[in-house]
Amino acid sequence: MQMKYFELIKAGTSHDFVKYRRVAVTISLIVNALILLGAAVWPRLNYGVDFAGGTELQVRFEKPVSAGDVREVVSQAGFGEPTVQEYGNKTDNQFLIRVERIALLTPEAAAKVKQEVAQDLPQAQLTGFHFDPEVGDKLDFTFKKAVDPAALQAAVEKAGVQAKEVRALTSREAQDQEYTVIAQGPGDKIGQLLRDKFGKDSVQVVRTEYVGPQVGKQLRNDGILAVIYAIGMILVYVGFRFDFRFSPGVVIALIHDAIVTLGYFVVTRHEFNLTSVTVILTIVGYSVNDTIVIYDRIRENAKKFKGLPMRDLINRSINEMLGRTILTSGATALSLVGLIVYGVGTIQDFALAMLVGIISGTYSTWYIASPMTIWLEEHLAHRKAIEAAKPKAKPAPKPPQQAAAR
Amino acid sequence: MDRSWYWKAGLIVAVTVAAIYALVPSWTYFRLPPDQRNESGVFEKARPKWAPARHLNLGLDLQGGIHLVMGVEVDRAVREKAVRRAEELAADLDRHSIKGVEVKGDPDTGIVTVTGQGDALAQAKNRFSDDYPDMYIRRTGGTSFELAMKDDAVKQLKESAVDQAVKAIRNRVDKWGVSEPTIAKRGDSAILVQLPGYSNPEKAKELLGKTAQLEFKIVDDEDRSLTQLKDLPPGITLDWDRYEGAGGALVTSPYLRAKDGLELRKFVQGKAPAGKEFGIQKVEERIARESYYRTYLLDKKAGMTGEYITDARVAFDNSPGEGNRPYVQVSFNRTGAELFERLTTANVKKRMAIVLDDSVDSAPIIQGPIPGGVCSIHLGGLKPINEILQEAKDLALVLKSGALPAPVRILEERSVGASLGPELIRRGSLAAVLGLLAVLLFMALYYRFSGVVADVALILNGIVVLAVMALLDSTLTLPGIAGFVLTLGMAVDANVLINERIREEMKQGRSLASAVQTGYDKVFWTIFDGHVTALVAGFVIRAYGSGPVRGFATTLIIGLLASMFTSIVVTRAIVEWFVGHGKLHKAFSV
Repeated sequence: MQMKYFELIKAGTSHDFVKYRRVAVTISLIVNALILLGAAVWPRLNYGVDFAGGTELQVRFEKPVSAGDVREVVSQAGFGEPTVQEYGNKTDNQFLIRVERIALLTPEAAAKVKQEVAQDLPQAQLTGFHFDPEVGDKLDFTFKKAVDPAALQAAVEKAGVQAKEVRALTSREAQDQEYTVIAQGPGDKIGQLLRDKFGKDSVQVVRTEYVGPQVGKQLRNDGILAVIYAIGMILVYVGFRFDFRFSPGVVIALIHDAIVTLGYFVVTRHEFNLTSVTVILTIVGYSVNDTIVIYDRIRENAKKFKGLPMRDLINRSINEMLGRTILTSGATALSLVGLIVYGVGTIQDFALAMLVGIISGTYSTWYIASPMTIWLEEHLAHRKAIEAAKPKAKPAPKPPQQAAAR
Repeated sequence: MDRSWYWKAGLIVAVTVAAIYALVPSWTYFRLPPDQRNESGVFEKARPKWAPARHLNLGLDLQGGIHLVMGVEVDRAVREKAVRRAEELAADLDRHSIKGVEVKGDPDTGIVTVTGQGDALAQAKNRFSDDYPDMYIRRTGGTSFELAMKDDAVKQLKESAVDQAVKAIRNRVDKWGVSEPTIAKRGDSAILVQLPGYSNPEKAKELLGKTAQLEFKIVDDEDRSLTQLKDLPPGITLDWDRYEGAGGALVTSPYLRAKDGLELRKFVQGKAPAGKEFGIQKVEERIARESYYRTYLLDKKAGMTGEYITDARVAFDNSPGEGNRPYVQVSFNRTGAELFERLTTANVKKRMAIVLDDSVDSAPIIQGPIPGGVCSIHLGGLKPINEILQEAKDLALVLKSGALPAPVRILEERSVGASLGPELIRRGSLAAVLGLLAVLLFMALYYRFSGVVADVALILNGIVVLAVMALLDSTLTLPGIAGFVLTLGMAVDANVLINERIREEMKQGRSLASAVQTGYDKVFWTIFDGHVTALVAGFVIRAYGSGPVRGFATTLIIGLLASMFTSIVVTRAIVEWFVGHGKLHKAFSV
């Protein structure tokens, strides 16, 4: 029989992966610590509206415009310092504008509105007023008598607050009359300012996203919970199918890869949003699969070569699977090429972050997961040795004492 | 070639054919121009009659549209309810001539305080414990006691406030004719609204944020002008209502019906006689799982509006022969009671339409004058009890929508302009196809024959994933594509594992057939463990994640199951066929 094939890694290659484990683990620890520090302290993750809450607009201009000009116009809106980023190709003239969620109305401004309304509409008899700084853009009024919504709006705007909507809440006649005034939000205002400055038809708001503060918090909590539970379940499954000695390795490797992927967003300062979370989840899935395949081989070799030390077992297994690991990582990376070349904005980020994660996943299987297993094995052996020594060591000094008592 | 091989081959052929069949409507759908495919009826007309009705949808991030999460201010509903209960208690004490007791509800906290002296206070307390099962005594002092809503009553009230809002929103969206909207409860106080292809967020917010308008209008069953209409357009038909009217005489009345509500609305516009208007009702046939739209000819002027309603609830009729039939009990305030009595006295044995936001919800027959501010609406006829119960619940909701609107506000808004969609789609699909081709080419070049087999498996994997997503009515989103890439990676991995293993076995001197056999057997558990671990993670993420993260998990789960099938079953069956037929004697390469 004639066999024709390419061979990427020659059979019998034996690279000593285990030897470099201390160096690798040290470097990884430092890199991970730096990324976490970068994400939390400086320069921090560039959170998108999904998590930070706030308003984000994607705007397309007909003619080339500088980011500085856009920033200047948006700053005038008075929603704090906006983030303005070019988006996609330069020729597209697209920008991503984000303003953080800040309280649109201060309690002082709200108090001023209340005073103005009470003054301007005396016959309606304002009996109640409610403003929640957490919500920030909603004012509730209660009157004894019905008022004309337009008059209410006029009074509110006289106090310097742009009202977007006035809603009458009460429809029953014999009761207090309640109205809600919604102040104009950042999205509308920014769009309006840009149109005023650059001309009505030369600006197009392609996409707006607004995420309220409660939702942002909930999305973040849901995301974190999902990841934690997923890791927990993986731990249990690996423990059940393999050995609990293997679980920590899998989990530490996947945490490592998740952090390194996060590093992409820390280093590039590109927006971190819910889609980025799915990239990290993808890498977690990939990393687990990669590690499991190697563990599977270790399990098989452990049966085949009884008595071989864990160290050699791991080295042998990794080397046997070397061709496969490189091929798989290469092929998966290859599937991202199109997205990296043709993708724009979010899609490109998505593909690049995934690439970083795949490289990290391959590395962590060799240098992180397996050393963990060795370390755990050695640690267990050590403890066993101590425990084995203990019962002998303790009763030992007793006989002389007893002897002395006698 | 043993028997089990033929079973496997049959299964593979069946899966492939079923997947392609399930993708036919999606193929038709995506060949329609993007600006037309979401209009109602367009896809229905283009779809081949033998193909299934479900097709793949693009997520809002890919085709443009509006995504809103609206918060219902449930706490406010609870507080207002407590205040209303205070009013009721005060009136109740009045009726029982318990004097010298003051009842006050605080609209900010929802706590009701009853103040009074000695006997009167004790009597008030007795009254209270007799008739107000949804409240409890929070605190008792010498001259007063405080009441608050019970926890389960609060829970129920919150739920019904959200249900009301969902009902009102669905009603409105349905009227715009947005095809395939998503309107769903999210958590216990929010509503998710997705309007694919709809691109005017301002208008959407304005319409959705409005409080519901409830009206009662008398149905005109004498007018015959509908029968004069010539040339009804296709899809609209004339039909007749029959019921027992005044003096037992049979009343017949014409109406129009159609499958397409928008079309019907357009058609009847301006055709009503002076002082009248057409109301449209969406009729759901629960057993046939079908719905159609029909007209009622109504008085333009509302006989009464919903502002006088104080409560509406489902009650059960346990008089003999009725067998606990559910019905709806509506309570009006004093002014409402008078108005309603007058309205019903003047229109006995006529039908009265209950109209929510310009859509007719139902049109019960007025059996007699209704005094006293409490009205019972009986539904149904000969339908099964649980169906009547559902209808009664729905109607109570509608009636309450007019009574107490729990205000909604926007918590989250994402709108993607329709112009962004096609661009993303074009680039995205180009990128995906390029990546896929690169992988396929690589496999074929590296593994030659078995690379091509793996390619067949990968392509089938893609088809099966898309088909299952189409059948499950899922949407294709960017995060979904992330899930798909991961699946693709794992499917490639499975094939690499298999081929590398067969190489190893052959190096150890096994024959081709035996190497294939042992290779697949040994690799099975490797692939299984890798896939199941990822599956476990996928299910957990699906259960706890929200929004895009969920979409990711759904695609991942479907993809992993498909990948296990294609790499373990499909490639093996193909390779075994070639080995069994001796075709691979010479040129076999792994």
